[in-house]
Amino acid sequence: MSDVLETVALAGNPNAGKTTLFNALTGSSQRTGNYAGVTVERKSGEFFTPHGRKLRVVDLPGCYSLDGGSPDQQIARQALHGEIDGEARPDLVICVLDASNLERHLVLALQVIELGLPVVIALNMIDVAESAGLRLDPQKLSEELGGVPVVPIQANANKGIVELKQAIRHPFPHPAATTWTPENRQGRVLQICEVAARRPDTHSSTLSDKLDAWLLHPFWGWVAFAAIMIGIFWTIFSVAGIPMGWIEDGTGAVRDWVNASMSEGDFRSLLADGIVTGIGEGVLVFLPQIVLLFFFIGLLESSGYLARAAFLMDGVMAKAGLSGKAFLPLLSSYACAIPGVMATRTIDSAKERLVTIFVAPWMSCSARLPVYLTLVPLLLVGMSGLQQALIFSVIYLTGTVTALIVARILRGRLGEDATPSHFLLELPPYRAPQWSYILRHVIGRAGAFLKNAGTILLAIFILLWALSTYPKSKSEDPGEQLAHSAMGRIGDVVEPLVKPLGVDGRTGTAILTSFAAREAFVGSMTQLFHVEESDDDEETLNRLQSALSAATWPDGRKMFTLPALLGLIVFYIYALQCLPTSAVVAREAGSFKWAAGQFVFMSVFAWLAAFAVFHISSMFL
Amino acid sequence: MALATANDLEADSLLSLSQAKVGCDFRIRFLNGPACEQLRQLGFCESLQVRKLADGRNLICTVCGTRLALSRELASQVMVGAA
Repeated sequence: MSDVLETVALAGNPNAGKTTLFNALTGSSQRTGNYAGVTVERKSGEFFTPHGRKLRVVDLPGCYSLDGGSPDQQIARQALHGEIDGEARPDLVICVLDASNLERHLVLALQVIELGLPVVIALNMIDVAESAGLRLDPQKLSEELGGVPVVPIQANANKGIVELKQAIRHPFPHPAATTWTPENRQGRVLQICEVAARRPDTHSSTLSDKLDAWLLHPFWGWVAFAAIMIGIFWTIFSVAGIPMGWIEDGTGAVRDWVNASMSEGDFRSLLADGIVTGIGEGVLVFLPQIVLLFFFIGLLESSGYLARAAFLMDGVMAKAGLSGKAFLPLLSSYACAIPGVMATRTIDSAKERLVTIFVAPWMSCSARLPVYLTLVPLLLVGMSGLQQALIFSVIYLTGTVTALIVARILRGRLGEDATPSHFLLELPPYRAPQWSYILRHVIGRAGAFLKNAGTILLAIFILLWALSTYPKSKSEDPGEQLAHSAMGRIGDVVEPLVKPLGVDGRTGTAILTSFAAREAFVGSMTQLFHVEESDDDEETLNRLQSALSAATWPDGRKMFTLPALLGLIVFYIYALQCLPTSAVVAREAGSFKWAAGQFVFMSVFAWLAAFAVFHISSMFL
Repeated sequence: MALATANDLEADSLLSLSQAKVGCDFRIRFLNGPACEQLRQLGFCESLQVRKLADGRNLICTVCGTRLALSRELASQVMVGAA
């Protein structure tokens, strides 16, 4: 046995699985990833052939051809030519090819064979190729390449590794004679693929083609898009009503049970009024809507339609300086900004991603719904369902349009990326939804929502209850008690801040509690305006609404006038009152400053917008 | 002679993917522009067959059985000829 180890080089296109094979051969764990360019320098290791012969293996950076100009591709070329100082020319090259994409990957294999080195072809990812319907013939491929051994492998599952090691046993296969010239290399690749890797006939239109002809049509595509979106939102708001009724009934039953089975006292009051009511009515009620929204987003994602929606929306998003890829994050943000912000990871351009993260919280999320549902009916006495729906549409549009305008301004400010990125999106074939995936997705989100309800919101409601109960006054009048309590005093402190918006300190306190979580608003208002709870939640909401419309300033003026209500709604559209969102933004943007800036900007913007709306509408109404 | 004429005709018939007709099959002849590398990585390689499916702001085509949507700007860097 010679002292100098013989060297085997791994060459191939980026993302062909060279490093995965390197790890499988040597038992090491170099970093791999499902994108091009994970390996940018040479790495070497050692392994034994089945005959006990020790070989050195070098993992080269991926390259598309040996003529490439980028530094990592130059390393590969020099290594194969033996031009690197202190490194002998490899004695054998294993060409790693992605079997599902031979048309692209064979070009490099042919170039390597031209070098006159012994070559073994490792046909990686055969599982992917087979599932794509490719008919591969390794024997034929070997014959076409002039007798070069071809070994089908699946490096990530350790399949075919032993066979590959068998193929590189001594004596090394002879360098193959080339039957092509560099000029007709491309043509040769196509000839080879014709006989050794037949694709299923792509010319017959598949079901996906036929669907796309409609769903991506310049006119019918938009009709279908609008129908799908309206259908989803209609289902969320109508169908969710049924389970919401059950939850409300359940909350009432639990509260009755607590009231009946405990004696009168502070603890009963805490349980019945603070916890059960706050969690049940302020939070759990919205679970069905959230579950449905995530169910539909999962359905769109898994069926392949979301990529089409992104394609359609690209033109609209471009007007805001974003691309179609920003559509999914923004759509998800209607449910909750947190998954929306996380979904921005698919956006290629770093600056576009930052901008999308910044404006995502302005898509009215499901936590704002309870606030709107409480305030909107107060705007107009005896409002019809249609009018309400109209006002809701305006509310959602206001947030969305402002978000797109701010995105455009911000995108202009940030300037272009260092490397321009173009819109390029793979449109996967339509598939039947993967129910298990959707189920996991929905359960995960619902779980996160419930966890929030059980921790942060529970704490808020207990704190609120305590603040409005202590210190106790001697008065029997609940109003005086509240004014005497810690809550009343906090209200006095924040009153100067909210008075320009046309509301008093009690509403100010409710707004303050919403900064921990918006859902707390309704529960806080119920407690602060000491509305008597009833068994029926709808009744409670009605009582809260009548209490609000009856509320007056000390001098007898009506408090919740139309301008004040409009201002309050506008405040909730724009304010970023969600600590978990800020935490996720800080993580995803990789910058605490970005999250803090977003929070301050949105809070100030919300206050100014509410101030402007209150005063301007006061002039006319 | 006949071959030379055919080659000339082919050179004349080259056009970019963004100019190409919808619903037809083409063969990619060469890539020309700043985004060549990016396009190659996504499967737009010389001598591959491509079918243009839709036109517009972004166009849709299939390469190697994969359906891709790409911007006009990118498509104008892909020169194609008759299949």
